[in-house]
Amino acid sequence: MGKVLRRWWPLFVLPCALSFTFGFIIPFVQGAYLSFCEFKVINKAKFVGLSNYVAAFQDEQFVHAFWLTALFALVVTVLVNVIALAIALALTRSRLGGTNVFRTVFFMPNLIGGIVLGYIWNILINAVLSVAGQQLLALNTTAGFWGLVILTLWQQVGYMMIIYIAGLQSIPSDYLEAAKVDGATAWQTLWKVKIPNLMPTITICLFLTITNGFKLFDQNLALTGGDPNHMSELLALNIYNTFYSRVGAKWMGIGQAKAVIFCVLVIAIALVQLKITKSKEVQQ
Amino acid sequence: MAEVQLKSLRKVYPHERGARHGIGKKRASQRKSNLEVTDEGVVAVQDFDLTVHDKEFVVLVGPSGCGKSTTLRMIAGLEDITSGDLLIDGKRVNDVAPKDRDIAMVFQSYALYPNMTVYENMAFTLRLKKVPDAEVDEKVRAAAKTLGITEYLDRKPRALSGGQRQRVAIGRAIVRNPKVFLMDEPLSNLDAKLRNQMRAELIKLRHKVDGTFVYVTHDQTEAMTLGDRIVVMRDGYVQQVGTPQEVFDHPANLFVAGFIGMPQMNFFPAALRKAQGGYELATDFGCVPLAERTSRALAQAGAGEAEVTAGVRPEQIQVHATQVEGALHAVIDVSELMGSTVHVHARVGANDFVFVVPTAELSREDGRAYADGDEIWFTFEPNAVHLFDRATEKNLI
Repeated sequence: MGKVLRRWWPLFVLPCALSFTFGFIIPFVQGAYLSFCEFKVINKAKFVGLSNYVAAFQDEQFVHAFWLTALFALVVTVLVNVIALAIALALTRSRLGGTNVFRTVFFMPNLIGGIVLGYIWNILINAVLSVAGQQLLALNTTAGFWGLVILTLWQQVGYMMIIYIAGLQSIPSDYLEAAKVDGATAWQTLWKVKIPNLMPTITICLFLTITNGFKLFDQNLALTGGDPNHMSELLALNIYNTFYSRVGAKWMGIGQAKAVIFCVLVIAIALVQLKITKSKEVQQ
Repeated sequence: MAEVQLKSLRKVYPHERGARHGIGKKRASQRKSNLEVTDEGVVAVQDFDLTVHDKEFVVLVGPSGCGKSTTLRMIAGLEDITSGDLLIDGKRVNDVAPKDRDIAMVFQSYALYPNMTVYENMAFTLRLKKVPDAEVDEKVRAAAKTLGITEYLDRKPRALSGGQRQRVAIGRAIVRNPKVFLMDEPLSNLDAKLRNQMRAELIKLRHKVDGTFVYVTHDQTEAMTLGDRIVVMRDGYVQQVGTPQEVFDHPANLFVAGFIGMPQMNFFPAALRKAQGGYELATDFGCVPLAERTSRALAQAGAGEAEVTAGVRPEQIQVHATQVEGALHAVIDVSELMGSTVHVHARVGANDFVFVVPTAELSREDGRAYADGDEIWFTFEPNAVHLFDRATEKNLI
């Protein structure tokens, strides 16, 4: 078996390597190159240097979307993780009945697609706003932002909760019993024993929520569509609109440049976060 | 002063919900085969009565699933007590939280917090009690010195060996200066050599720290060497409480006789008969007259003629190469050299016996070593025979 693999491994690797190369690496490199070009169709691209990047940073909508996305990612990351951990802690208490039912219920929103969710919450939030006598989502920036936050919480809390439950269950019960005998209260046990032992799980959940927060697109498109006047537009939607909705040859190159900036940003933030939280992880 | 009293302590694990009858019972009984299953659930500990005196070292010993750890966890407050009373220093603590019982526990897995250094692990409980830093430092360093772990104080548990972790776990217990030390199989994760060493250190430690100890183990050597008294348990019931010597010399029943002692006591069916001036045993390999003291004890107990199970410890059998007067006959099956002794497995009538022969006496009188298939003769030392009722399995004397 080992001999066959040693000889024929390129054959086994080939299908995956080919699809990865043609489906990801080539488009990515081409996309990065096009961010330095002005083009309408890609085989007639004209190299223009850094001017697309300059234009991107000079685009007020982009800068607004950048800060809005950063704020959104921060709020969502904190809230999703705090709420998911709180629910996970509640649902891992052995004496609580019906925990499986609750776990399923909390997880279910995650199974619905973002666009569908966006439209459902659009109807729901608009109904609430109209009852409250407020302006509807199309004209209400604040409601748009918090609507997105609520929608994201509703969708992601269940998923993160499942990961936290798995993490909590992997903490040896001896630690918790030792803490009980040592005289720790539930709160002290949480901070001194559970959370330090949960760091690998926290690393994963933070990574997922931060990147999800930055990448949010379909929920944004369906719930607010960036209204009013691009004020609730997050980075991904801004890039999409730059590329597809603006008239003029230069905008495609600028959209491409924004996409590259976006990619570098998400990777950088995720790496920093991984480095920080990884350093806090403990081995048992 | 710390006395622990257990009065009719009982622990029942309720059936899983929705499986109260029928299937539930079956499942529960399959899980823990010999435990009693009632409508309430599986009975893990039954009518446990014991008083652990101040500064006494009591060892709970028994096979897996006998309820020894459950009993310890009830004392610790980690398991609810189904019924009965638990008193520490005369105060009922059934419903008192573990932290308020003034106990310390050493876990089998050590349960050292991996995120804290050795120092922090040992200081944790004192810090929670808001003990001043200087006092914490003093106590932790004193405990570390006692256990010889001062140089590891800044390390995390994962950087320590099993034996070192074990010391830290004990150190964490002694910094609190608790009334009662509870130890749940603390040596069973160590290799044999280290276990012997730690056992000796525990004996020394016990004299250094004045405390009451309740220690759980399945290892009879630990029980015999560490305990002032040992409690032998089986299937949730206490079988016998006594000093190691008492339990070894006068096992209360067949189970205790078989459980305590390495190698196990030799058992054989016999008929107890009255004979001239005393009693004798009729067996399928011959007639065994009982020693005077045994006969007197039997007479005092009012024993009549009965079918019994007799038992003799392997160490209390003399082996002879040639037939001597009153000796019984055996054929060697196989022998195992254990170092200073040889365990000789032999067929005696329809029974299998084990004899323990010192290696120095291994060669026969004619200078030849015992070989498989050899015929040998043996005699019992006086008062070596234990007699158990065939039906109740209780010791007749």
